[in-house]
Amino acid sequence: MAEDVETRSKRIIAEQFGINPEDLTYDTHLVRDLLMESLDRIELIAAFEEEFDLEIPEEEAEQNVTVGQVIEYIKKKISSKEST
Amino acid sequence: MDLLEERAKKKPMRIVLPEGEEDRIIRASVKAAAEGLAKPILLGDEDAINKRMRDSGLSLRNIKILNPEYSPKMNEYIEKYLEIRRGKRVSEAMAKRILRRPLYYGAMMVRMGDADGMVAGAVSITASVIRASLLLIGLQRDITVPSSFFIMETKNERIGEDGTLIFADAAVNPDPTPEQLADIAIASARSARALLGWTPRVAMLSFSTKGSAAHSLVDKVKEATKIARLKAPDVAIDGELQADAALLPSVAEKKIKGDVGPVAGRANILIFPDLDAGNIAYKLVQHVCGAGAYGPILQGFKKPVSDLSRGAKAEEIVGVITIVNILAQGF
Repeated sequence: MAEDVETRSKRIIAEQFGINPEDLTYDTHLVRDLLMESLDRIELIAAFEEEFDLEIPEEEAEQNVTVGQVIEYIKKKISSKEST
Repeated sequence: MDLLEERAKKKPMRIVLPEGEEDRIIRASVKAAAEGLAKPILLGDEDAINKRMRDSGLSLRNIKILNPEYSPKMNEYIEKYLEIRRGKRVSEAMAKRILRRPLYYGAMMVRMGDADGMVAGAVSITASVIRASLLLIGLQRDITVPSSFFIMETKNERIGEDGTLIFADAAVNPDPTPEQLADIAIASARSARALLGWTPRVAMLSFSTKGSAAHSLVDKVKEATKIARLKAPDVAIDGELQADAALLPSVAEKKIKGDVGPVAGRANILIFPDLDAGNIAYKLVQHVCGAGAYGPILQGFKKPVSDLSRGAKAEEIVGVITIVNILAQGF
């Protein structure tokens, strides 16, 4: 079975931070828990763009600070892309 | 500003504007190119930009348009990106995705010497402009934070440099540490020298003058003054000073026992202890005193780059292009 959006998102985040995807929950905070630096953010965005073939503006991504918010954002992006 | 325009015209530099499809950027670039204030490079779709120009009856003379999407330099830039971020988990495809963004492409052009400076922020948020610049241009060797300054043109010719002052930081660092505050002071002195040809006299502002009050906030400014003096012994830096003791010789003489030194009463650069103070001060001086406020101009980077306020009008953008052009002449 193909991975769902949540699993794929967690995999991407885990890869970028060099951790185990199972350690990530919806509440995991990108900056406080994963110590994401400002410079890492654009690369995380690029990794998501590549995985899901999306265009993600930095200003939009800036609003997502937890793993759960990222997953919900990606789901929304995918559905709006499919509807166009 | 007239004086700055004269200086910019002496040597127009290649200034890249990543938001090349934005109407205000196009208008500003046309004016800057026509008056010889810079050699603008607009990033974006050529057809879209050309159409905007035609619709507004503007001419493209002396403006270069470049679409990162089809750039022959893309592979070279990707290679450089991967080199800069070695050890990070970045694939070639990711680097390409990042560099297709005009802001990052523009910063890379500056890094690679394909442009001399960058002006962005009419569309992008400040955080993005700073991120792209930090990532690809980087900070000056001894500077640890990016910061910003304003040129304040007041009508009171007896203060500062014939009425003109530099205020920093009024836009970037909310609550700088003493080390960061020291770096803001040093970067501001460099900006003043490069842009205005001043001999910098830097006042580290506080609500206390030389120990007149005791508080941890005062200690922070004292500490910053000490660090800045150690790091830049060739620059006249004094603190902690109240604004009146920094600007007015009579107050400086009254409040300071012994030698007043080269800064107190004659400061031309004011360093504010935090962003509350700096941002409020510049807006008050601008609106209550009717002073001209030019900025925020970013500083501390290896090459000149500046942010714009997102509400910036075309004329204001021309001003920032002019300033970045002069800074680029000195790099």
